[in-house]
Amino acid sequence: MEVITNTQDNVTTAQLIGRLDTPASQEISGDFESLIKLADGTVILDCSQLEYISSSGLRLFLSLRKAAASKGGKVIVKAINNDIRSVFMMTGFLNLFEIQN
Amino acid sequence: MAHTLTDIEKKSARAGLLLIIIAALTLEATSIVQYFYSQKGIKEEASMRAESQLETTKVRIMDIINQAEAAVRNSVWIAQWCLEVPDSMGRVTQRIVHDNPVVVGSTVAFVPGYNKRHELFAPYCYRESGTGEIKLKSLATTQYDYPSQEWFTKPIELDTGYWSEPYIDEGGGEMLMTTYSLPLRDSKGNVAAVITADISLDWLNELVGNISVYPNAYSVLLSRSGQIMVCPVETLVMNTSIQDLQRNSLADNETFNDISHSMLSGHYGNRRIKHQGVTSQIYFAPVERTGWSMSIVIPENEIFAGIRRIGVIVKLLQILGIVMLILLLRSVAKRQYKYKMLNEQKERIEGELQIASAIQMAMIPKIYPPYPEREDIDVFGQLTPAKEVGGDLFDFYIREEKLFFCIGDVSGKGIPASLYMMVTRALFRTISAHESSPDKIMSNLNDIMSQDNESNMFVTLFLGVLDLPTGRLHYCNAGHDAPILIGNTGAGMLPVDSNLPVGVMPEWKYSLQESVIDPDTCIFLYTDGLTEAEDLEHRQYGMTRIKELTQQLQQNGTFSPTVIINRMTDAVHLFVGNADQSDDLTMLAIQYTLHQKDFKFQRSLTLTNDIKRIPRLNAFIDDVCNANGIDMSESMQINLALEEAVSNVINYAYPTGTKGDITIEAKSNGEKMFFIISDTGTPFDPTARPAVDTTLSAEDREIGGLGIHLIRKIMDHINYERTDGHNVFTLIKKLSK
Repeated sequence: MEVITNTQDNVTTAQLIGRLDTPASQEISGDFESLIKLADGTVILDCSQLEYISSSGLRLFLSLRKAAASKGGKVIVKAINNDIRSVFMMTGFLNLFEIQN
Repeated sequence: MAHTLTDIEKKSARAGLLLIIIAALTLEATSIVQYFYSQKGIKEEASMRAESQLETTKVRIMDIINQAEAAVRNSVWIAQWCLEVPDSMGRVTQRIVHDNPVVVGSTVAFVPGYNKRHELFAPYCYRESGTGEIKLKSLATTQYDYPSQEWFTKPIELDTGYWSEPYIDEGGGEMLMTTYSLPLRDSKGNVAAVITADISLDWLNELVGNISVYPNAYSVLLSRSGQIMVCPVETLVMNTSIQDLQRNSLADNETFNDISHSMLSGHYGNRRIKHQGVTSQIYFAPVERTGWSMSIVIPENEIFAGIRRIGVIVKLLQILGIVMLILLLRSVAKRQYKYKMLNEQKERIEGELQIASAIQMAMIPKIYPPYPEREDIDVFGQLTPAKEVGGDLFDFYIREEKLFFCIGDVSGKGIPASLYMMVTRALFRTISAHESSPDKIMSNLNDIMSQDNESNMFVTLFLGVLDLPTGRLHYCNAGHDAPILIGNTGAGMLPVDSNLPVGVMPEWKYSLQESVIDPDTCIFLYTDGLTEAEDLEHRQYGMTRIKELTQQLQQNGTFSPTVIINRMTDAVHLFVGNADQSDDLTMLAIQYTLHQKDFKFQRSLTLTNDIKRIPRLNAFIDDVCNANGIDMSESMQINLALEEAVSNVINYAYPTGTKGDITIEAKSNGEKMFFIISDTGTPFDPTARPAVDTTLSAEDREIGGLGIHLIRKIMDHINYERTDGHNVFTLIKKLSK
């Protein structure tokens, strides 16, 4: 699991690559802590190369979303595949995040 | 309803009134008839009394009359003999007076000129009033002129003994007198003299006046000429004649004339007369020889006073009778009304019972087979209440791959039992909706049911929870009959602990029991309506017969729920015969039909409790899904569910730092995939977590709880069991065909 972060003009793009399962969530929790610090701006989570997400991954997403909400920032989830979309659907995350293709 | 009642009331009131009128008329008619006949009888009696009184009085009068007549007759011969010596006549008269106490005076009065010496000659001997001395004097005075007196002329004229008109003797003591005179003939047959005897009639007044057949009755005695001799009005006595009364218009009607005429003619008779507003009966009879007529006058109201008094009593009795009849009718009507009300009440209660029965029966599962889509379970149940409503119950349903079932029997029968039954069934459903352990469900139920249980009712209850994927049965028995297990290898009783029935003692600790149900085994549950079904001789069906039949069914290999219950029902009906069903009859049979050998695919994986092992799980699941032809996207979801379940165990089941194993067993019967995750960690039920609300905003959403939420969403059934120190978490996913 790999996270590539790029910040430009108060807009941070984080590219998530691989499977975000339970162990992977532990691995990248540091990356998400960095993202939370930038949550006063716009954070784009680029999921075009994200294959899989478990509830621990969803928790990271939700923590970031809550931080953005309190800091007045914005989280955009971009390019999720159909499997992840159905997980988002099951958990109500489709309504919590701004989803872009 | 009120309308009908008024109608009926009116109708019965009318009938009652008619009855009273008829009774009153009948009574009145009988009393009139009775009055008529009594009146007749009483009148007859009055005539009899009057006539006999008249007769008696007449006999007494005649006695004195006869004495006087005899006194005269007895002296005739001596007087005849003395005609030649007239001076001796004084001695004759003296002897008549002396010898006869009733005679107060006597004379022998010669026909004028018969005596040669005296033109008139009549020596008179009399008893002086007061002294009683007998004196002699002559009646031959110019003033008296005896030859013109009635007592002298009449006997000569009639040539027979003659009683004179009564008269007041002015000479001696103002006495009422009458004289008997007889003509006296000499030897040649010529009338020579008249011989007489005077008698006082003072006794007459006493004798006749004292006739009192009735208190206000009175007597009247008339002389030959109509002179009133005896009468209650003293001024009329010897002063007035009956003719005078007629003339004075004291009584001027024809009846009076008729009466006086009849009396003066010497007739017997009876007349009815109205005088001065009083109607009286007059009875009269002649007194022979004297020419008198005697009568008794009785006012009718006196005659009928008795019958009138009886009439009044009869009237009072009639009124009393009618009043009693009215009271009786009223009480009968009241009773009828009450009876009618009771009847209506009974009908209403029966109607309500029908509804209650329908409601109660709706509580009992009745669609069979209940789970046609399932291959692991078959259930059949039957409840036949002895009355409209009963106290037996059974119920079953599936929650999270567990079959919850119970059978029970409330103490007593009828409505009280049915109320308790409904409560038991409702509580069973409510408590088991969030509690899976039979002992806890039972304890919970017991605590509620035994609170304020003033009617001291209780229910024997068997409660089971059958874990369908594993066939593991957890159960708790509260004083109910032990179920019978009928399986491929034999039939026998399921061992049960002795616990108190529900509702007896609060806080009772119910024990949990456990058993593994082999595939094809049928659990047969029943109430005492089966064991205690009675035939006409009150013999009970009994456990032995039940066991024999189950053995037989086992040997024949035919023991599906429907077969067991139908055969048992037939056998009981045959045994009971025509006897009434005495108790509710309830049976429930559950057959577990999941065969492990049906699993075509079976694989397992054991992991240590390290989160880094998750990729191994993913690989295992991918393989399983692949082997079962599950597509990529579904496989990903199953993977997600398993990862969530296993990481839950890794994170929470074992204390940090301790090592433990987690076994994941995957199997498939071609229709469903079963994933059974078991560990030996601390008891942890992941299903107990409340559901996540996915509609909340980001601010309100909780971070946790997503894992179990996803598992529920992805899997068709999930089930947690704590068995033999293991947490067993089963995930079931239907395979799409």
